[in-house]
Amino acid sequence: MIWIGDVLVSQGEGGVYNERMLGGARVWDPYRSKLSALYFAGTGVELTPGMRVLYLGAANGTTVSHVADYVDVVYAVEFAPRPMQDLLEVCRRRRNIIPIMADAARPEQYAPLVEAVDLLYQDVAQPDQAAIVLRNCAFLKHGGTVILMLKTRSVDVRKEPAEVFHDTIDSLISAGLIVKELTWLSPFHADHAAIVCIKPEV
Amino acid sequence: MQSYWFGDVEDGRCTLFTGDSHAIIDRIQSIVTSMDTFVPPDWEHAVLCGACRDRGEYLARLQAACIEAAERLIREHYSRKDAELLQMVRTLDEIDTVINLLSEKAAEWYLIRHPAFSRKYRRTPAHALVKTMRERSKGALGKVAGEIEQLANTRTILAKEVSARANDVMPNTSALIGGLVAARLMSHAGGLLPLSRLPASAIQVLGARTALFAHLKTRSPCPKHGIIFQHRRVHNSPREVRGKVSRVLAGKLAIAARLDFFRGVAEPDFLEMAQRRIDATVKRSKL
Repeated sequence: MIWIGDVLVSQGEGGVYNERMLGGARVWDPYRSKLSALYFAGTGVELTPGMRVLYLGAANGTTVSHVADYVDVVYAVEFAPRPMQDLLEVCRRRRNIIPIMADAARPEQYAPLVEAVDLLYQDVAQPDQAAIVLRNCAFLKHGGTVILMLKTRSVDVRKEPAEVFHDTIDSLISAGLIVKELTWLSPFHADHAAIVCIKPEV
Repeated sequence: MQSYWFGDVEDGRCTLFTGDSHAIIDRIQSIVTSMDTFVPPDWEHAVLCGACRDRGEYLARLQAACIEAAERLIREHYSRKDAELLQMVRTLDEIDTVINLLSEKAAEWYLIRHPAFSRKYRRTPAHALVKTMRERSKGALGKVAGEIEQLANTRTILAKEVSARANDVMPNTSALIGGLVAARLMSHAGGLLPLSRLPASAIQVLGARTALFAHLKTRSPCPKHGIIFQHRRVHNSPREVRGKVSRVLAGKLAIAARLDFFRGVAEPDFLEMAQRRIDATVKRSKL
């Protein structure tokens, strides 16, 4: 990852969402992007130029544009039409983002499009986040990484965030993933946790 | 055999799919993949069958097709009848908020200029007060009051349009509860499809989110009604039976929303039975 002092940046064409520029690089704000917050609050995963990424819950393409600055290609899945309009505008300026308008819970609908990826990033506001990750693991290479941004409040408001967190981790482990890192994203994002896992080699 | 957007691959051999971007989009939507035996596509296979020369071209072609597919889906989504109604009713409710906020501020300002004026013991409706402010105030305050009146006119026109559109888009729901309230229910659910998928109990408390979550988290009583309170048969009922009336009404609304989504035309038989059932609940409660 590229740091200028204690500011996380990415190299690419600016002006995507009026982001601040620093020495010709785009500032990646941890308060806006949960992935950026993970690099501030924890370790995360080093994004490298050869990487292929499947990004579930791409929304307006803000974080996607930063990821695309670092990696080879991002397959960006988003279901809602309104944010998709914005994401398409980002795609027209960046050749390495493939926009896919589909439901991340139904990977069979976009399977013919997505290559084997090194990183599976998931940030969807759904109650069954762990299940969605597991269904999409078919795209992930062995030894590849999963980053799951858990919105505990979207899973069940009646449960304590910590309880939701442990339930999710249990279902990931029982599906055979190796949990590598658990980080709460405070103070950047309240009640959000990042879970980093590895899909084991065969 | 594995089917990908560029062609079919079997035993390392690839059959190219020929067709323009339209055909590719249709192909993507028609392919049925089983995730159990799925092998992700490989750009080298695409080169092998002649879909592209290198990885750069592979991604460029894939991106072009995906952008076009997404544009098509967005167009389809926005051409659905409920898409515009959704924005219309949300704008309407926002205009109401703006009118209230502005009138309040203008009234405070007016009080400074006319210290003897008070709204206590007067039955002046808000719009009459705005009219007085416009006529008796010079400069910017008069202009602000004028703008509020203009906005109120726009609101009236928009409300009529929302009502008419709701009668067309959701005839059954509108017949039971009125076009405006029906449109508001739809707006809170996020569209006609999501509304038709909601259980009656959710429709009953749609719009009472704060009270509902307070109930789920603490021991406060659960809300009896949300938006459907705006319907006369709910708010005109005696307090102790409002819950009963709103429950019956919500039950019929859930059916009506499904009729609206799947059939799209008014069902007189259903409507008559439903109206009778709701009226019976109201009447029985009055005995």
